[in-house]
Amino acid sequence: MSISRRKFLGLVGAAGLGTAIGKPAHTATNKQFKGYPGSLGVLYDGTLCIGCRKCEEGCNDVNDLPPPVRQFSDLSVLDNRRRTDANVFTVINRYNGPKDVKGPLYRRIGCNHCLEPACASSCFVKAYTKTRFGAVTYDASVCVGCRYCMVACPFEIPAFEYDQALSPRITKCTMCYPRIVKGKLPGCVEACPMEALTFGKRRDLIKTARERIRRHPDRYVDHIYGEHEMGGTSWLYLSGVPFKDIGMREDLGVAPAAELTAGALGAVPMVVGLWPVLLTGIYAISKRKEKISKNEREEAVSTALAQAGEQAEAKLSEELKKAEVKNKTAIEAAVRKALEQAADTQTEEGS
Amino acid sequence: MRRRRSMLPWAVMLCAIAVVSFHATAAQETEECPGSVGEIRADVLTIDVSGVFGDLERPAVVFLHDSHTDALEKKNKDCNTCHLIEKGPQKDRLSPKFKRLKDISRDDVMDIYHTECMGCHRDLSADGEKSGPVEICGECHRDRPAAVSTRQPMGFDRSLHFRHSRAHEDKCERCHHEYDKTEKKLFYAKEKEGSCRYCHKEVTEENRISLRLASHISCIDCHRTALTEKKVAGPVKCVGCHDVKKQQLIEKVKDVPRIGRKQPDIVLIRPDKQDIDEQELALRTGPVPFDHKTHEGKNETCRVCHHASLDSCDKCHTLAGAKDGKEIRLETAMHQVGSKRSCLGCHEISKREPSCSGCHVFMEKGRKNETSSCFQCHLSALKGTVLSTEKPEIAAEEALRSRRAPPDTHRDEDIPEKVIIKELVDKYEGVEFPHRKIIHTLINNIKDNTLASYFHVEKNTPCRSCHHNSPGDVKPPRCVSCHGKPFDEADLLRPGMKGAYHQQCIGCHKAMGIEKPNATDCTECHKERTKPEKVFSGGAPAG
Repeated sequence: MSISRRKFLGLVGAAGLGTAIGKPAHTATNKQFKGYPGSLGVLYDGTLCIGCRKCEEGCNDVNDLPPPVRQFSDLSVLDNRRRTDANVFTVINRYNGPKDVKGPLYRRIGCNHCLEPACASSCFVKAYTKTRFGAVTYDASVCVGCRYCMVACPFEIPAFEYDQALSPRITKCTMCYPRIVKGKLPGCVEACPMEALTFGKRRDLIKTARERIRRHPDRYVDHIYGEHEMGGTSWLYLSGVPFKDIGMREDLGVAPAAELTAGALGAVPMVVGLWPVLLTGIYAISKRKEKISKNEREEAVSTALAQAGEQAEAKLSEELKKAEVKNKTAIEAAVRKALEQAADTQTEEGS
Repeated sequence: MRRRRSMLPWAVMLCAIAVVSFHATAAQETEECPGSVGEIRADVLTIDVSGVFGDLERPAVVFLHDSHTDALEKKNKDCNTCHLIEKGPQKDRLSPKFKRLKDISRDDVMDIYHTECMGCHRDLSADGEKSGPVEICGECHRDRPAAVSTRQPMGFDRSLHFRHSRAHEDKCERCHHEYDKTEKKLFYAKEKEGSCRYCHKEVTEENRISLRLASHISCIDCHRTALTEKKVAGPVKCVGCHDVKKQQLIEKVKDVPRIGRKQPDIVLIRPDKQDIDEQELALRTGPVPFDHKTHEGKNETCRVCHHASLDSCDKCHTLAGAKDGKEIRLETAMHQVGSKRSCLGCHEISKREPSCSGCHVFMEKGRKNETSSCFQCHLSALKGTVLSTEKPEIAAEEALRSRRAPPDTHRDEDIPEKVIIKELVDKYEGVEFPHRKIIHTLINNIKDNTLASYFHVEKNTPCRSCHHNSPGDVKPPRCVSCHGKPFDEADLLRPGMKGAYHQQCIGCHKAMGIEKPNATDCTECHKERTKPEKVFSGGAPAG
């Protein structure tokens, strides 16, 4: 099969036009999800954090994680940039920040529990759930280990148990879901000596954060990170310096991940659902066509055969007739001849 | 049919080439940027008369003034090589312009630069010496300047002013002058001196030359004369005044004597008499006694407060705002936080000093709304009474003196020496808190600070730095009566017990720059318990 020049240019043009026109963001949905009412969250105040790693210790403790490579009291680990892994759900990193800021700056890394989580929207087996408590939980029993969630997360949080050959799981902060449903505090929040982590209803945390900024405008950057980032997150952050200076992404925008992919993913069920119907239909139509043409052909053949038979018969009968006539004539001639001979003989005998 | 089939690979290949080459050029463009930053120096001048004669045809020349001064010095030549002498109002002086007195026309100025600059360069290179560019236009008119200016603005502080007035035997008229509009000439008015900036603005206005021009003409000319007379003289090169490092080398005189301009020691800040009736003022919030003398000593220049003239504030800033004061009311001028000129604004900055910020870091910023705080400045003692007296300043002085008593607090025996904080004993033992020692430190810090000792006059003030939101009596409420379980939904802003202690102690130490005890080493304040209980009862494992 080959493609003609005209067809190729036509396709290129159509593709270009298709991308230029674009499509509205809300292809599949037109509503904005602002989180479950009364859902919980944690506010991290970077100006209060002293980088003691007690939250890391608390997290490790309540989640029964293996002991850390270097003890929690060893603060030299802060010299390096660290990130979450299969056995570490919360990490404090230290930054030097801009020149005019004296003293080190800290930042917490861990699952932000997005209101509309990218991990959940990328998961095709629904292993993730945004619970009404605000926590994003993970169900290992249905997970197939595709790790799409790790790719999807804009904060690069979900980690994978690469050392578990047979039943590897995705791991990440659960906002201590098992604890908060019982009315307990998340491990990190309980462990923080400075109350740099505040636990409460997300709605109240935003109010608290705003009030702190109002009371101390010289201490804070006038922004609550997570209020709108990626459609909003259950973890919120306050900082004394621009968030990019403590390694937080400022390029994420305010659209939730689910909204960005809803258009394309919304088309998936349509394609998946309609494709068999379409193909079956096409198959059925072509089958039917074949059948009809076969019937027609058979009919034509039979007609043709019938016609040929008739003709042959007619000819035969004609031939037969002719032959009969011929025969008759011959018989008659023979008879006549015989009669003539007989008459001749009689005449001869009679003479 | 055969020919058509070959179209697709070709198209794909062309597309790929286009994409790659686009990215390659884009990368090249960004790579060149960092190279554009040239040498960093303070003597960079841009020869740009575009303001006078319109846009230039070529990029403006970046001229390194000190390099040229140094080169001339080596050849025993002086400023006259480039600068002509012009008749000044009092004496002859150097024109700041190059080889001309006036900018006559675009072509003339251009010709002067081209012939004079390149003439000199050519002569030098003919003699086989190092010279500037001689032929290629682009060597001077560069798209990317070879040097970047780090010129710092220069100004007089009290120390530098004192050194000048001492050197000139207090002959103020050598620099200070006024302008007589009718006679159209400069004259000296004794005790009317002010900052140069009050008249000489950023750009030349009519016959008033810009500050830049005025200072270069006056300062450098005087320094040059002193040099020729073999006297101690100030800098004549750009870096001497405008380089950050050189500025730091300028000698600072300690205990600068007060400038004698018959300024008051104490003033009463109040609306102008035209603004408000004396009798009415007596009924309203009292005037503010202001220790002018002390404030002079605390500031580097007069213009920190007197930003437009040395007149009293109420002349321009009237009660309801006036055109002269840019409609800024007296109230705003005195109370606006965020302005270095206003009382509250400057005091707010002072509170950031380590000895103050330990307590003040916790306090809400912004305008104080409590009416009781008004009377810290608007002394009720002066209300009504001073206006009747002939010299209200005397009453004001008395009122101020009454506040200068050393700060007082409770008797030592009423202040517990040590407090054991054991409300939270869990993993760690209780904290032995050196309570009295801390109070004494606070009181000493207040005593050492004029501003603090004026405002911290109440007995309970030092106590209230920790026992906040309470009267600070001998037996203040216990911390636990307000701070209990953390994250109370009704009051999320109020920290729990653990947060309150750690935020208060560590926050204060951090603000005061106290590094011992180390905030991240728990055992420096509380010993580890021998039989630690498991704090976290442990939730179900995640996942």
